Amino acid sequence: MIAQDQNTPENLIFDYDQANTGHIRTDEDGIKDQFPERDYLPLPDVSEMQVIRHYTELSRKNYGIDTGIYPLGSCTMKYNPRVNEDLARLPGFAGMHPHAPPPHAQGALEVMWDLQEALKEITGMDAFSLQPAAGSQGELLGVMIAKRYFAEMGERRTRIIIPDSAHGTNPATAATCRFQTVTVRSDERGNMDLGGFRKAIGDDVAVVMITNPNTLGFYEEHLQEITELSRKHGTLLYCDGANMNAMLGISKPAEQGFDMMHLNLHKTFSTPHGGGGPGGGALGVRSFLEEYLPVPRIVRHDSDSTFDLDYNYDKSIGRVHSFYGNFGIMLRALAYIKSWGSDIVNVSEAALLNANYLLGLIRDVFDVPYDRRCAHEFVVSTRRFGEKSALNMAKRMIDYGFHPPTVYFPLIVKEALMIEPTETESKETLDRLAGALAAIAREAEQNPDMLDGAPHTTATRRLDEVMAARHLDLRWRPPEE
Amino acid sequence: MNYIPHTGKHISKMLAAIDCRTVDELVPDQVPRAARLDLGEPMSEMDVVSYIESLAAKNTQTKCFAGGGSYDHYIPSAISHIVLRGEFLTAYTPYQAEASQGMLQALYEYQSYICLLTGMDVSNASLYDGASALAEAVLLAHSYTKRRGVFVDVGLNPAYLQVLRTYCEGADIFISDTINDDVACVIQQVPAFDGSIKDPTHMAEKAHRNGSLFISCISDPTSLAIMRPPGEAGADMVTGEGQSFGIPKSFGGPCLGFMAVRSALTKKLPGRIVGATQDGSGRRGFVLTLQAREQFIRRERATSNITTNQTLLALSATIYLALLGRTGLRSVAHTSYRRAHRLQQMLHTRGFRTITPGPFYNEFLVETPRSATDILERLQRCGILGGIAVDDHQLLVCCTEKNTVPDMETYARGVSMQ
Repeated sequence: MIAQDQNTPENLIFDYDQANTGHIRTDEDGIKDQFPERDYLPLPDVSEMQVIRHYTELSRKNYGIDTGIYPLGSCTMKYNPRVNEDLARLPGFAGMHPHAPPPHAQGALEVMWDLQEALKEITGMDAFSLQPAAGSQGELLGVMIAKRYFAEMGERRTRIIIPDSAHGTNPATAATCRFQTVTVRSDERGNMDLGGFRKAIGDDVAVVMITNPNTLGFYEEHLQEITELSRKHGTLLYCDGANMNAMLGISKPAEQGFDMMHLNLHKTFSTPHGGGGPGGGALGVRSFLEEYLPVPRIVRHDSDSTFDLDYNYDKSIGRVHSFYGNFGIMLRALAYIKSWGSDIVNVSEAALLNANYLLGLIRDVFDVPYDRRCAHEFVVSTRRFGEKSALNMAKRMIDYGFHPPTVYFPLIVKEALMIEPTETESKETLDRLAGALAAIAREAEQNPDMLDGAPHTTATRRLDEVMAARHLDLRWRPPEE
Repeated sequence: MNYIPHTGKHISKMLAAIDCRTVDELVPDQVPRAARLDLGEPMSEMDVVSYIESLAAKNTQTKCFAGGGSYDHYIPSAISHIVLRGEFLTAYTPYQAEASQGMLQALYEYQSYICLLTGMDVSNASLYDGASALAEAVLLAHSYTKRRGVFVDVGLNPAYLQVLRTYCEGADIFISDTINDDVACVIQQVPAFDGSIKDPTHMAEKAHRNGSLFISCISDPTSLAIMRPPGEAGADMVTGEGQSFGIPKSFGGPCLGFMAVRSALTKKLPGRIVGATQDGSGRRGFVLTLQAREQFIRRERATSNITTNQTLLALSATIYLALLGRTGLRSVAHTSYRRAHRLQQMLHTRGFRTITPGPFYNEFLVETPRSATDILERLQRCGILGGIAVDDHQLLVCCTEKNTVPDMETYARGVSMQ
């Protein structure tokens, strides 16, 4: 409480240094003669204790998995082993400069090699690049490779097929590479509609991008037909691996017919999400696309089993990262995979069980748009409680001590709540979450005002997002500016 | 390790509740089943630690005189103590603002710091790394000007150029040899890859006369503590690598891409942006704003496909800048500058001719009297990573405040040995 007296929650870090005029004494090293020096730098000078208290106070106004269940659909907010944080901070790795000569970076290269081998086994793909810094960059790399592949074949393909349940990144990625998106709607079981797909596919389609299981939480049931039709037209099949947490050891995307895929290393393989990154977005491909992967690639010399960086691939797409990708996230992924070994199938099995169990507990409370077993997550609709009910119920969950699920996604379900409990939550927690959702549903009928104003227990109440976008205040400015 | 809480009894109960005998019944028949994965026996936490430690031991730990986009600045201890707090570490992207005020405020502070350092109006809440931040800026410039060319001044980090070429191929943008009517933007790295500092004003004016945007690319942003900010020199966008601000080198990643722009470009920015607003009682709070730019709403019409980026590292950078303040950051910059110039003199007297033209900050390129690779190998044996071999007779050398005078003397002795 003493801390709060000194650091009121209203303070920005800039408010602690009242003497900050920003003006500085220049030419301390005779630099002025060398290049144009700055004479104004209004960064506050603050004591270390004030900094610690300020950010500790901020942390107390934040909810994380450590605080409680975080059932954000499509985000895989599982518990991530703490030991991985220690491992990523070992001086032998954290202190490694990326330009250390390969003979002196054998441990780091071995980590990358071993991880690639493990990911090949998990997905069935033939080769991996660990360069993409996130799933969306993995996707971008995949589509760039597809574009180059068809350009080299002398084919001009202009379209990419994406189901209407897909994440927004898929069409955004297609657009970045100047492809036109063709949206195929979902059928009554939540699969990509086969009839719609037949109409959409053609010789000008470069890629079909499918998330499996899809964002409705269902395994695609028509993949075999989709694969056959795609092959007939020479189209590449891309798997958005955002939901790989439902497939570890259960099924391999390459065996489902996919030619390429990305993995969200942070989600599936245990890097804490950090409030929005850093992540990792490894891209896996089948052998006929391997030569296009970015450089440098990790190679192992047969002669002496040493590892090296190889830049000599004529057909390589180039590069998508300043260095080799997010090494720290690769390290955590390798440690996680090693800790599970072949038992990693338990992760996906428990994720499936938890999602189906929770769905069973709340299916009568909400509308269930598709009546079938789900994979690792599911979507329900709150439409019976009226407009904005998904938002209001989500905000009310905060008062009950739960982080809300994903809301209003996928776009094809009205008033959607998308719930992914993950494998690390206990039955008791799921029971409590279901109880809270039922209680909130009762409130929605009996005392809807309670929901409209929620949350009621947080330091700041419902925030005005419209005002934020209309009257942009995106930074602190020094008083004299 | 026990990362799944269920006992056998729990599992039976839960299966019974959903009327299933096995979990496999939850997977449709159409999904092809995998054979048991060959990933070895599970390891205990203790075994994982010794396995990973044994890999770490295969790396050579050295004093670092290499830069080239990854810098060995000192990292204050307090940073990891704060970022490891579970409320920050284990949170997701702050979509639910009321449950995420801490991270949102920290990102607002981050955006403010980036604007103050670069002299720009608006910053986003981070991008992946320096190279892709530059590529995103080029995509923005194309979208804003509707032109398809990009002019790159000499001195851009070759890896950044390679990333730029890859993005450009994907986006049907071409690299132009001249500044002409097709050019959407002009890129200049300051300090350049060889460490040299040019006054960006001339290039900015040239770009603007041509109707192009001017992008300033920053490799080591500690330089901004003493250099005139690019915003004052006419930059329309500033992108760069923020790894210098309290983030470990970590074999090149994760690092921190930053991007700041003039206010006219705000609605074209990629990535997350945090804004201040109010709740019903008029109390200040923070939210993700201008989300109509973003892929999850705008889909194929989004400004970028980016989603997750580098929030925890933006937090690290914020805490770094808070801990150092203007005094500390300027001291880092001055010390790095002085050390680099001292080492340059020491090497000069040992026959290493400086190639970097004109003034430099903390990096300089030298011509080596013998093979650069041999020299690096020799220095490794003295416990020193001596720089980056740019080609067989050129070495890019860097100093930070961590490179002490005794280390420099070891370096000098190392290169003198026959």
